[in-house]
Amino acid sequence: MSGRVGGVTLVLAFLLSGAAYADGDAARGEARFQDCAACHKLEAGVNNVGPTLHEIFQRKAGALSEFRYSPAMKRSGITWTPETLDKFITDPQGMVPANRMPYAGMANPSDRSDLIAYLQKATK
Amino acid sequence: MVTKLKEVDAVIVGLGWTGGILAKELTEAGLKVVALERGAPRSTENDFSLPNIRDELRYVVRHDLMQNTARDTITIRNNPSQEALPMRRLGSFLPGEVVGGSGVHWSGHTWRWTDMEFRIRSNYEERYGKNFIPEDMTIQDWGITYAELEPYYDKFEYVAAVAGKAGNIKGQIQPGGNPFEAARAREYPLPPLTPILASEMFSEAARNAGYHPFPRPSANATQPYTNPDGIKFGACQYCGFCQRFGCEANAKGSPHMTVIPIAMRSPNFELRAHSWVTKVLKDSDGKRVTGVAYTNLLNGEEFEQPAGIMLLCAYAINNVHLMLLSGIGEPYDPATQKGIIGKNYCYQTGTGATLFFEGKFFNPFMSAGGSNATFDDFNVNWEFDRGPHNFVGAYNVSGGFNTALPIGYRPVPSGTPQWGSEWKRATAKWYQTAMTISAAGSVMANRYNCFDLDPTYRNAFGQPLMRMTFDYKANEHKVGQHAAQVINDIAKTMTPTNLNPARARTDPWTVVPYQSTHNTGGTIMGTNPRNSALNKYLQSWDCHNLFVIGANVFPHNASYNPTGPVGALAYWTADVIKNHYVKNPQPLVPA
Repeated sequence: MSGRVGGVTLVLAFLLSGAAYADGDAARGEARFQDCAACHKLEAGVNNVGPTLHEIFQRKAGALSEFRYSPAMKRSGITWTPETLDKFITDPQGMVPANRMPYAGMANPSDRSDLIAYLQKATK
Repeated sequence: MVTKLKEVDAVIVGLGWTGGILAKELTEAGLKVVALERGAPRSTENDFSLPNIRDELRYVVRHDLMQNTARDTITIRNNPSQEALPMRRLGSFLPGEVVGGSGVHWSGHTWRWTDMEFRIRSNYEERYGKNFIPEDMTIQDWGITYAELEPYYDKFEYVAAVAGKAGNIKGQIQPGGNPFEAARAREYPLPPLTPILASEMFSEAARNAGYHPFPRPSANATQPYTNPDGIKFGACQYCGFCQRFGCEANAKGSPHMTVIPIAMRSPNFELRAHSWVTKVLKDSDGKRVTGVAYTNLLNGEEFEQPAGIMLLCAYAINNVHLMLLSGIGEPYDPATQKGIIGKNYCYQTGTGATLFFEGKFFNPFMSAGGSNATFDDFNVNWEFDRGPHNFVGAYNVSGGFNTALPIGYRPVPSGTPQWGSEWKRATAKWYQTAMTISAAGSVMANRYNCFDLDPTYRNAFGQPLMRMTFDYKANEHKVGQHAAQVINDIAKTMTPTNLNPARARTDPWTVVPYQSTHNTGGTIMGTNPRNSALNKYLQSWDCHNLFVIGANVFPHNASYNPTGPVGALAYWTADVIKNHYVKNPQPLVPA
């Protein structure tokens, strides 16, 4: 019984958060992306201080063979989805302690959903 | 065997801020440019990423980004009666030696020097009479005006992502900025850094004392920023590893991530790293330079690179050294005061207090390169009457700290044992509770402070080392005394638990510990060939196709950090080369 309740909650949570990203404003998100742009490119194969974000969604964290990730990121076991990315950007060191991204986090949830809405378009 | 290479339009010696700016500007104007840099290529992604960059031992103690003194150094003495000895380890100053130069490991402090400096002799003579300036103080007007440089300061600040608060926009005094600054055309590109507790406490005390504190302008991007060239900056993370490190977040304005990569994209540009220039070559009548001789440090191969235009953009001291080694211009002799090259070497002076507050937590590990507040009431302010104090020059006062590192930053109250368990207890107790107030003071040119070639010691290439003769004079001691008094008065009003007071220095200058990488002069700019090596466009009076760019052109040193005018002058020189010199290659100012 408790498992079933958990399952329902999980589905609900997924729907809610999915809806939030769908509501995100990709145009505003492009401006939020300036937080990332000094280190991350969107083009395939272009790794800079950070790895390219091209096709990030559904990629596993630490998966690009040509980028030197931190051990923490490689063993994190994360698969990037709007939900996991939202959690990561909120507090990168909180979610993946000892990862090497020099970024303190994006506190505002609507900024994050705008950014993720933008990334969903721009990383394809 | 020396291989003679194909002539190019311009050769740049040294690829830091000035070389990078000229490389970008001249390649965009269509010139074929080769840059020769002693050091290795460095990039944020390969070299400055986490966690490797936060290595105090490697970068601070072992000077990973700086000049290798085993290959070339300088000899040092305080006055001409002494025998100079080689500086075998870097200490007081830290010339960069990588692609990006000292612009990689600077803190980012970016100031505008004004007519207060550019008309220094005229200013003091008009106010205080000709006899106010001591006879051995060889200060002179620079031959340039603030109005001429203003657009170039603006350009540099926008390229380097300088964060600050304007104090004077087109003559309108702006609240929160420096009321004594010269008028600027517009606001800084980025808002100032978030103040730290120490700078807030200092600012409050300074305001209560009647001074005018403001946030220090620094090339530490406070927000994500795209500069006018399209270069993207990340936001400063206040990581505490700024000065002496490359920036892990691409937030510190540095040539290796701004102007140099733009030049690198141009087919007109070629960078040859690990290339050590030993000499600038002159043609037979000595009126023009023809190229440079250099050695590939990786295999010892020697080359001659001919060029139409020669741009010396190395560290200030090394530019002067190359001029002396190449026999361009007449070497300066302090005994007779004849000659120019090597004249008016200046440094900076300073003093500081450390304040301890039991119960406060300053979190010194969190700061940016420019995390301090500053006031200029005794600096670029003529209301401050130097007459009664009988000195020429000025100092700025700042409170807070930047780059308080885990190994080296160990403030303890004076009287604490210097080692052992007592020291350990004290350093643990006081680490969180200390802040500093410090003053950086100008140094006026003096006939005995100068560079020449050392008669005894030689570098790895068999060439004479540069010899530096320098000491503080009575004028600088008076600046220091005044500054120490002002600092201690402010510090006492803050009622710290313990105070290590500021003391004016009176001892001779020595090469340890670290003091400031603001070495100036040696190939000074001026109004005519009798008083200077270069004209106002930094063009050699002797060889018109030779330009020498850097703090080596300053006829004296102010209390401000030098990179603002160094960057502005680089753009100024680039403009005159692009727009005038290439069309009509001749002296830009009649001799």
